[in-house]
Amino acid sequence: MSLPQTRRHFLRSSSALVALPVLASLGFQRFASAAPVPTPPKRLIFLGFGWGITTESWFPDVKQPGKDYTIPAGLAPLARHKADFSVIQGLWNKYSNDGHWGSTMWLSGANRFAEAGQTFHNSISADQVAAEQLGLSTRFTSLQLNGAENGEASGHGPGLSMAWNASGKPIAGENGPVAAYHRLFAKDNTPIAEQKAMLAQRRSVLDTFVENARDLRRNLSKNDTQKLDEYFQGIREIEVRLSKDEQWLGVPQPKTDLPEPPPGLAGREEIKIMYDIMIAAMRTDSTRVMTYRQPVSTLLTSIGVKVAPHDMSHYHSTMGEKLEASQRRDLAQSELLAGFIDKLKSTKESDGSCLFDHVALAYGSNIRTEHNLDNCPTLVTGRAAGLKLGHNIIAPKDTPLCNAWLAMLRGVGVKAERHGDSSGELTQMVA
Amino acid sequence: MKLSVALLFTTLAFAAEEAPEVRLDAKHQQLFKETCVSCHGPDKQKGKFRIDQLSLKVDTVETAERWQKVLNQINSGEMPPEDKKQPSAAAKTELLDDLSNMMVAARKKLGDQNGVITMRRLNRREYRNSLRELLGVEINVSELPPDGGSSGFDTVGANLFISANQIDQYQQLGREALEEGFAWQLSAPVQKKLHYEGETITPTVRAFIKYQIDAQERAIKWKAAVEAAIAKPENATIVALLKKETNNNASRLRREWARIPGAPNPRDFGFDKKGENDADLANDSLSAGWLKYHQYYAGMPDVERGAYLGTQTRHPAELNLNYIEILVPYDWPVGEYIVRVRTAAVKDAPKERRFLDFGIHARTAKVMATREISGTIENPQVVEFPLTLTRGNATSRDNRLVYLREKGSWDDNDEGGRKRSEAVKRNGVGPELALWVDWVEIERIPNSAKPKPPGFIALNLPLDDKAPAPTTPELRSALERFATEAFRGTKPPATYLDRLLAFYDVRRKAGDKPTAALKETLALVLSSPMFIYLAEPAPDNKKRTLNDQELAVRLSYFLWSAPPDATLRELAQKGELSKPDVLAAQTERLLADPRSKGFLQPFTNQWLGMDRFDFFEVNRALYPRFDTGTKVAAKGEVHETIAHVMRTNASLRDLLKSDYVVINRILAHYYGIEGVKSDDYEKIKLPEGSPRGGLLGMAAIHFMGGNGERTSPVERGAWVLRKLLHDAPPPAPANIPALTRLAGKALQTKERLRAHQEDPQCANCHRKIDPIGFGLENFDAAGQWRTTDSIMALDAAGKPDKKSLKTWTIDSAAALYKGPAFKDYYGLRDIVASKSDAFARGFSEALIEYALGRPIGFRDQPLIDTMVSQGARKDLAFREFIHSLIASPEFHTK
Repeated sequence: MSLPQTRRHFLRSSSALVALPVLASLGFQRFASAAPVPTPPKRLIFLGFGWGITTESWFPDVKQPGKDYTIPAGLAPLARHKADFSVIQGLWNKYSNDGHWGSTMWLSGANRFAEAGQTFHNSISADQVAAEQLGLSTRFTSLQLNGAENGEASGHGPGLSMAWNASGKPIAGENGPVAAYHRLFAKDNTPIAEQKAMLAQRRSVLDTFVENARDLRRNLSKNDTQKLDEYFQGIREIEVRLSKDEQWLGVPQPKTDLPEPPPGLAGREEIKIMYDIMIAAMRTDSTRVMTYRQPVSTLLTSIGVKVAPHDMSHYHSTMGEKLEASQRRDLAQSELLAGFIDKLKSTKESDGSCLFDHVALAYGSNIRTEHNLDNCPTLVTGRAAGLKLGHNIIAPKDTPLCNAWLAMLRGVGVKAERHGDSSGELTQMVA
Repeated sequence: MKLSVALLFTTLAFAAEEAPEVRLDAKHQQLFKETCVSCHGPDKQKGKFRIDQLSLKVDTVETAERWQKVLNQINSGEMPPEDKKQPSAAAKTELLDDLSNMMVAARKKLGDQNGVITMRRLNRREYRNSLRELLGVEINVSELPPDGGSSGFDTVGANLFISANQIDQYQQLGREALEEGFAWQLSAPVQKKLHYEGETITPTVRAFIKYQIDAQERAIKWKAAVEAAIAKPENATIVALLKKETNNNASRLRREWARIPGAPNPRDFGFDKKGENDADLANDSLSAGWLKYHQYYAGMPDVERGAYLGTQTRHPAELNLNYIEILVPYDWPVGEYIVRVRTAAVKDAPKERRFLDFGIHARTAKVMATREISGTIENPQVVEFPLTLTRGNATSRDNRLVYLREKGSWDDNDEGGRKRSEAVKRNGVGPELALWVDWVEIERIPNSAKPKPPGFIALNLPLDDKAPAPTTPELRSALERFATEAFRGTKPPATYLDRLLAFYDVRRKAGDKPTAALKETLALVLSSPMFIYLAEPAPDNKKRTLNDQELAVRLSYFLWSAPPDATLRELAQKGELSKPDVLAAQTERLLADPRSKGFLQPFTNQWLGMDRFDFFEVNRALYPRFDTGTKVAAKGEVHETIAHVMRTNASLRDLLKSDYVVINRILAHYYGIEGVKSDDYEKIKLPEGSPRGGLLGMAAIHFMGGNGERTSPVERGAWVLRKLLHDAPPPAPANIPALTRLAGKALQTKERLRAHQEDPQCANCHRKIDPIGFGLENFDAAGQWRTTDSIMALDAAGKPDKKSLKTWTIDSAAALYKGPAFKDYYGLRDIVASKSDAFARGFSEALIEYALGRPIGFRDQPLIDTMVSQGARKDLAFREFIHSLIASPEFHTK
């Protein structure tokens, strides 16, 4: 027989399953039979859409702050959840100047020009700050999901996902539902001894690469040595994954009742399935930190909009069909989010509470619309972080977005002094 | 050829070019004094900010940030506050102009990398090409993350990151390339051929006609019987209910036959829809859809000898008159194929319908090539389409279905349906048949005569398991040779080989056959850092001259985006490559090699910003002639013209204005220009007074300067400033209040854009951009010449309001900002053409950035000057720029 090339080859696409143990407790209690019902863990989710929203019909009226506000047309599909989310107005990343970068600095608040002698700089994104602490006991430290299409077409800007590591370098993501599903639920029927052998083999491969990289590094300039550090960092990340794999060896693979998504899904269907995959990832406690760089370009195609996405965000100049496209996009996105919230509420945790009680979720973009990078559309939901829900929150104009990220990080129990250009926690959004 | 070598290696010390000081003109202090200082000065410091103490000289990131903030505040209209004293529009416009340009200069200066070239990994296309050169196969690398993105070329090392996933992906792609390469080598001698006669379809058409007529007769009888049952008085109640349920639709009512007492079963009339409602089949047969068209087809002459390519009438599984589709048998191996078609155009077929599309998988309409057909049915011609099949084509039936179809006859359902119904309106039948196919042949060409790819020459081991497994020493030296080839001549360390051998053993012990273990091991080589990175060591961080081997790598990745070949490597080995005359001769050789496409295409795409070309689809209802084949040809014109200029070493001026075009027959027809003879792109002399010739005459350029529906004078003007005039406007600023005043009004383009001149925030850039766009308004959004334009306002529901239709004659007269006036497009083109030095400068900068893999810095000024002045001495001949860059100390320095 021959060795499997990767574990993914053993993906089983059927949907047979058993109920899942709460893996949060698995690290220490996996064989304990009478373990008390554990408290479900807190999760943090960021959903980003590139080209922003329709300013005039997405934001609630600033003259109606607080609970008693009229749901604006762009959020109408979310009306049934009105008490369970808040819109925050007045946030921005003050260093952002690139009108087509909806996600690159959204979670980091970094200044592209901060580093003399370079034309691009970024810093760690909020999800990765959380992952350092919340990712320790799950199979995946964090999960980066992307639309299946190229992010640029959707106004996300440079990056391989919405996540940036501690050195401000891009972290790759899973492009599209099939890749995400495989990553999470690839079925591994390989006997443990063989899995161990494979891990050892992977390690020896990495050793080969590392040794080759070391030979390459000899005599490199300082600048190039730093460049090669990105490679070593990549190797380290794989090693962390391998040790996690090792740590989880023999732990039953999470099973999910979610069937494998068919290939080729795009736009609305893709987002819907991706939300289902995120639910499944939480149910199986595979990870507690997720970002999703949502497709916008294919979303438009899937709802029959023919206006090009960038054109749509410039609806002000002509209104008409571009404005209509922009508003239809808002509705489609709000509908999808409302469906996601439905599922978060209806999915039960082991202690009888629901996922929604243990999730903190932010939804938005660095772009409001056109090239406007102020008053970034921001919607928060979920009860995990002790956020004030059901409100139209009007933050002082030009409050750092990072103040909101800081509040969310602390809300889910991440110890963080500050984040990005934060000037303090946005207390207005805390209950 | 002779080359001026005066510059070479006289010294490696760079001219001490100081970065120019970035400073805001002191004249603006007056404006600050009048409108800012009262709140941001000695008396008050609102927001803890004093403008009077902010240095006009910008030399730190901090100062730049403060000025950025000032710029943002003025742009967003927040400063000065509405109720405070406002500057004059003129003074404000000037300030914004200077300030935004100053910020561009400051960012450039502060971001200057001082000529340091950051080591880079192979980008996506270089990785693909490197595998191709090594193994002789091309694999799909689209799963690798896209390169660059933050700005600049995809060769700039600082922007080329690597991630954990990518390290895994390289290993998978390396494996894929080896599988493919092994398969090509093993099947090299295989020869295959199939022959398909066009008339194969004719009996199917006749049978279908017969069936349609018969089914229609039966359906009429069934319908009459159902209607009789419906008319029965005793059925009135149920019929009334059913009518309500079916919305009074007669055919839907018949569908409910089972609930109408006495109505007959369609099955009894021979309608069996295999488990679905049989009535649907009966209902459908009533109209015998497209029977007339099918009869028209069957009645054509020469259906006994061939097939016509018509329109789509039925589901292709039922009857397909739209295209010929042939499956390449699954057991035919990867390799080079030729698809041969003996074909003709029908005698009276209009010219624009004499084009044949060739591709794979007709349903998704991916056109791979289009040919004009000049043969006649009496004297058909044979056209040949080359085709490469890879292992990727074996993954599904769809990827092995070769198709032939009349160009643009069914690019998608909307478009095909539109053409079809237009024809029915015209002749009551459908589109006239225009193309005829006698036969199609698919042949696999054995490639055993081709030279073996260097990777396999180096490996020199059996590629299947029929031979005994190699001994360890054999394997070791094979791996060493292969790795040396892969690493572009650098020998791998012994310990690295030890690890590879150990890995091979592990795979063998785990049960792999020798070649399987070998492929796995070689895949490690193709994902090792020494393959992935182009390293140029620089001990002690000192600038140094490259050695000949490194020079060979830099040269070939510049001009081929691929590794150096044996000739280059040999010259480098002998230490001859760096000799100026040898280097110049090699540059010529590389440029003359077909692989130089690997430089020209990606360079042109990035230099001219061609990515916009694929951003949107053209609105085919407005521009029916800009079909998929034409779109492909239009993009090709840009590349083929630049390739022509490079090949003939013509002047860069030809790209601004020329008396010729480089077009194929599709574009010749689109432009209405005669004279193209072959199936390829050809240089054609233009008639006097043609708007074509040069980039500004190309459909592709104008298509990009719009959104597929309307033109965008702003997009076009900015493109001309950026790409042709070397005078890029600052990036579109963030947070500018939107102009909404004019939305919903039907205004002429010029009127609409005049609004840009009202607000200083817009005027400071648009006064430069818009006039150029006006001068190009005679080209519509698909690049055709026009003299009028029209617009409709949108009504409250957002639909075009036909009553508001406004049509006007285009007036392309305008004046460049602080520059000459022009009375039409030709005048503008002359002005642009007169600025060829600016164009040459922009071209030089792009070349430097692309070739050296780093952004342009202030120290590059002397190099740019040299390139432009040397170029000018040879009338801006294209290759002169490449030679002077390659001869420059910068090109030889790490």
